[in-house]
Amino acid sequence: MNWILLTPELTVLLAAALFLVLACLKPDPRRDYQLAVTMAAFAVAAATACATMSGDLFNHVYRVDLFSQVFKALLAIGFFLVIFLCDDFQGVAPSHHGEGYFLLAVCTLSMMMLASAVHLLAIVLALELSSYSLYILVFLRQEHRWGMITGLRYFLVGASASAIMLFGLAIIYGVTGAVHIDMLIQQLPAMMGHPMAVTGLLLTLAGFFFKLAVFPFHFWAPEAYQGAPNQVAAFIAAVSKVAAVAILLRMISMAQGNSDQLARGLIAMAVISMTVGNLAAIAQRDFKRLMAFSSVAHAGYLLLGMLCMTPAGYGAAMFYGAAVLIMKYTCFMVMTRVADDGRNLQIDELAGLHRRSPLLALALMMALFSLAGIPPTIGFVGKLMIFVAAMQKGYLVLVLVAMANVVVSLYYYLLVLKAAYLDEPAQVLPSISLTMPARLVAVAMIALIVGLGFYPTTLLDLVQAAVLRLP
Amino acid sequence: MIVPLNHILLLSGLLFSLGMFCTLARRNLIMMLLGIEIMLNAAAVAFVGASLHWQQMEGQAIVIFILAVAATEVTIGLAAILVVYRRTDSVDPDMDAALWEKGGSR
Repeated sequence: MNWILLTPELTVLLAAALFLVLACLKPDPRRDYQLAVTMAAFAVAAATACATMSGDLFNHVYRVDLFSQVFKALLAIGFFLVIFLCDDFQGVAPSHHGEGYFLLAVCTLSMMMLASAVHLLAIVLALELSSYSLYILVFLRQEHRWGMITGLRYFLVGASASAIMLFGLAIIYGVTGAVHIDMLIQQLPAMMGHPMAVTGLLLTLAGFFFKLAVFPFHFWAPEAYQGAPNQVAAFIAAVSKVAAVAILLRMISMAQGNSDQLARGLIAMAVISMTVGNLAAIAQRDFKRLMAFSSVAHAGYLLLGMLCMTPAGYGAAMFYGAAVLIMKYTCFMVMTRVADDGRNLQIDELAGLHRRSPLLALALMMALFSLAGIPPTIGFVGKLMIFVAAMQKGYLVLVLVAMANVVVSLYYYLLVLKAAYLDEPAQVLPSISLTMPARLVAVAMIALIVGLGFYPTTLLDLVQAAVLRLP
Repeated sequence: MIVPLNHILLLSGLLFSLGMFCTLARRNLIMMLLGIEIMLNAAAVAFVGASLHWQQMEGQAIVIFILAVAATEVTIGLAAILVVYRRTDSVDPDMDAALWEKGGSR
């Protein structure tokens, strides 16, 4: 067996093992943070170095190809960025920092496995492992009042969703007798007229929709974001969405585009997700709740790309997944820096941000413009690609609905921006001091958002080549 | 004699609906956890039945992993319920933050 193919996973596994030991020793937040950043940097290096590898492992249960490796690189970068944000790790008791890093590493590891899993059993195990580490991460919130109740609700919804997914997988197995994606690809397209097969596939997708927070499974999102420590909320909002996109692309591409029933189900979910997410976000005053509903809306856009069931649509969804990672992370980075004691930030509290920290205000502005899809940002390119892919399939009405939604979303993003740039704070607050690395990351995020908006070709070519590995 | 696959799927479907009803209707965290457990076991029954139908061992292997997953789920769930119960003296999922404050000051 070729262990070199597993280098990214092994690096993250090593980080997890290290912090499992450190969590049992005397806590030392400073040392833990430096070690965590170092390990995460190694993970990024390993994942990018292995980006072009390919091969099958563990009796063809685990597939390493460009598709999975690009997602692994994105996940590793997200992992590094979130760990980097944990420099004071407010919101989690200092004695639990070790556990926090351990769980973040385990969660990243299982998401990497999710991107590579091509056997139903491997998919189930990777998904459960990542969900369980996220539940405990929400519980870690220092103010138990928030963490415990919301964590418990998140757990109950999540466990129900995974039970529904397992039942769907059981039905698929009952109908086809296949547990490997390659076998399912041969059998499922012919069976898409069979109501049982479609039911099974839809129930299975429910488990992944929960991860992505698509409409009927989005109820956990605002509460979990609000209850989780800010850095963990950033992880859920940015990194776990990338993994959800990876597995959804794998599952939806199994039907090979010849299922009208499946497409119709996905269209309904995409439209309702966008509309519900955007309308609910307008009423929010809490920054994290607003971001949660905006996540629901973005899940709708992502689904719009996937339901085209063409390589162009898959590529657009993958590109937008990377865009969501960058945009959401930037928003949460600004929030975590402003709410430096780990509290839940209200939108009013952003008042006067442009004077307290011009750099953070600029980063927030670019991220919000990108989320709203204003050129020249990465979010604009992503939305454009998705809409073009949908138009090629002839979904004109769907694109119009999505456009209307983009306009609605502009309203509440601009409200946040107004708070940051135009509103005067009630009392004069001291300026926010950033360390040099924190400044560098903020500048890098701005550069990525604008740079990939102007020159998206490299990333676009990469994702187009990656989705060709899908059937 | 082998029981037809449809009968097994019907049984597991019934079990699954019962579990889902329990999770949605009961206002007690422990009962909700039990409901999720029943849903998982319904999936396990369907896997075993399908495994028999197709004469493969893979379905049964998946069931063993489902049992492990279910055990993990109960561990995390009960631990969380216990903490919440100690703080609030309640296993009602609808508790709000105010109740928490009251219980937390004990």
